[in-house]
Amino acid sequence: MKKGTEDVLLNNTPILSTEDLTYIYQKGTNSEVTAIQDVSVDILQGELVGIIGHTGSGKSTLIEHFNALKKGTSGRVLLDGSDIWADKSKIRSVRFRVGVCFQYPEYQLFEETVAKDIAFGPKNMGLSEEEVNRRVTDALTYVGLSQSYAEKSPFDLSGGEKRRVAIAGIMAMEPQVLVLDEPCAGLDPKGRATVLQMIASYRAKTGCTVLLVSHSMEDVAAIADRILVMNRAHVAFFDTVDAVFSHAEELQEMGLDIPRITQLMLSLREKGIDVPANLYTVQQAYDALRPRLKGGSRHAQ
Amino acid sequence: MLSDITIGQYYKAQSVVHRMDARMKLILTVLFIVIIFLCKNFFSLAVMFVLTAVSILVSRVPFRMFFKSLKPIIPIILITAALNIFYVKKGTELLSFWKISVTTGGLSTAFFMAVRIICLIMVSSLLTYTTVPTQLTDAIERLLSPLNVLHISVHTLAMMMTLALRFIPTLIEEIERITNAQKARGADFESGRFLERVKAMIPVLIPLFVSAFRRAYELSFAMTCRCYHGGEGRTRMKQMKLSAVDFAALGVFLLSLAGVIVLNRFFQAMI
Repeated sequence: MKKGTEDVLLNNTPILSTEDLTYIYQKGTNSEVTAIQDVSVDILQGELVGIIGHTGSGKSTLIEHFNALKKGTSGRVLLDGSDIWADKSKIRSVRFRVGVCFQYPEYQLFEETVAKDIAFGPKNMGLSEEEVNRRVTDALTYVGLSQSYAEKSPFDLSGGEKRRVAIAGIMAMEPQVLVLDEPCAGLDPKGRATVLQMIASYRAKTGCTVLLVSHSMEDVAAIADRILVMNRAHVAFFDTVDAVFSHAEELQEMGLDIPRITQLMLSLREKGIDVPANLYTVQQAYDALRPRLKGGSRHAQ
Repeated sequence: MLSDITIGQYYKAQSVVHRMDARMKLILTVLFIVIIFLCKNFFSLAVMFVLTAVSILVSRVPFRMFFKSLKPIIPIILITAALNIFYVKKGTELLSFWKISVTTGGLSTAFFMAVRIICLIMVSSLLTYTTVPTQLTDAIERLLSPLNVLHISVHTLAMMMTLALRFIPTLIEEIERITNAQKARGADFESGRFLERVKAMIPVLIPLFVSAFRRAYELSFAMTCRCYHGGEGRTRMKQMKLSAVDFAALGVFLLSLAGVIVLNRFFQAMI
């Protein structure tokens, strides 16, 4: 188990929960599609959950329920123990507490300057000007952009920088739960690493609960405490990274890209070499294989 | 709300109307509009009403689709009806108070106008429900091709129209996506006064325009890469051919025209 994961899971007060949440698109017509069915999960205070699933598995629909953009056909969403739909006039405050950053967020930038764009969320919260300014400064730091970016036009930035500004716009609201939908989509390997690093350090600094949607197991495994696997509108697994990877073969059947190193381990097992299947980093594989190699070489001598 | 827009929406079905040549459908729609404005009394209007009803039945497009396209027009119909009721002063007076009076003539004119508008909308939506947008612009291009003599590039205009129609659903989807993203940042589109609501649209409109321009650039590159160079020497995969059905339909419409003219002569004019 990852360092720190245990602490987070021991401190098990759920911050965001769903109870039998079901959502059906175009209900009542003959083209009904069940996007999510009977989803009951508890997201714990301060943990980083990776949500993975194949395209169309319902992960994007699920996160739209977390900040009340969609209302479940049946079931409830609880934030800090209370139903988010209990008081309709407080829906906006739910959106400030659960900050959702959608796919390709750079396309939602609209202000003249980076600072103004990041300030859009905090201003909607009705904060004072000093507070808004502080949050903009902090958010720029979180995403690793220097303060000199504040007065630039967001439309003059590179793709990766735009993405980071957009994410900063959500972080500036200082939500209790930060939800990121495919924050690495369409970025080059260096950009992906930067964004993942940025999310991990943001969480370390703020202690905020983070949900990371991705279809890349590799990205998620590196930083998540627990993984929620969605498959055909249902929750397939929701467990620690190690436990989920022990189902590596099933994950592959669901059409998920498991890390290359895990694939290698699986094919070794097929060849009858007894190595654990739930390895997902090269280091772990090295540790598992080293004793064998040593033994092998001794045998040769 | 946005998904209610039905302009240019094709309703897939197997029917004679769907199979007809788009050019003929376009001509007949224009002809229909001309004839319905020639109608002078309820008898000739009835002919056109029956023609509308028959066309709809033959098309196999469900009636609720027509009601959907009619819905946004209802206020216009009501306003014209109201104006006619209060301004036309003919026949016997039914009630009057202050300076306003309602006459039988006013009521029947209002009814006449309403039926006329409804028929107009129904027939023009019938055209878009039964014809794929590309076929429709293709038909427009062919019918307007004489204008090439005047050095107007009809092909370019038709291509622009095709592209505009093609991107309506894409842009609607985009609006929904951006709206959700801004709502997630606490944007409020539902409350406030008119001016505040208009202002609230800015965070949606700017990204929308930016992405529309980006799409336009990408599309133009893609077209250039496929050696698109306008209409000159361009042949078509789908050739348009007039068939017996088209001429039969033309016959029915011309007969209705004759009927309307005759009925206009024989009965007293209403308007």
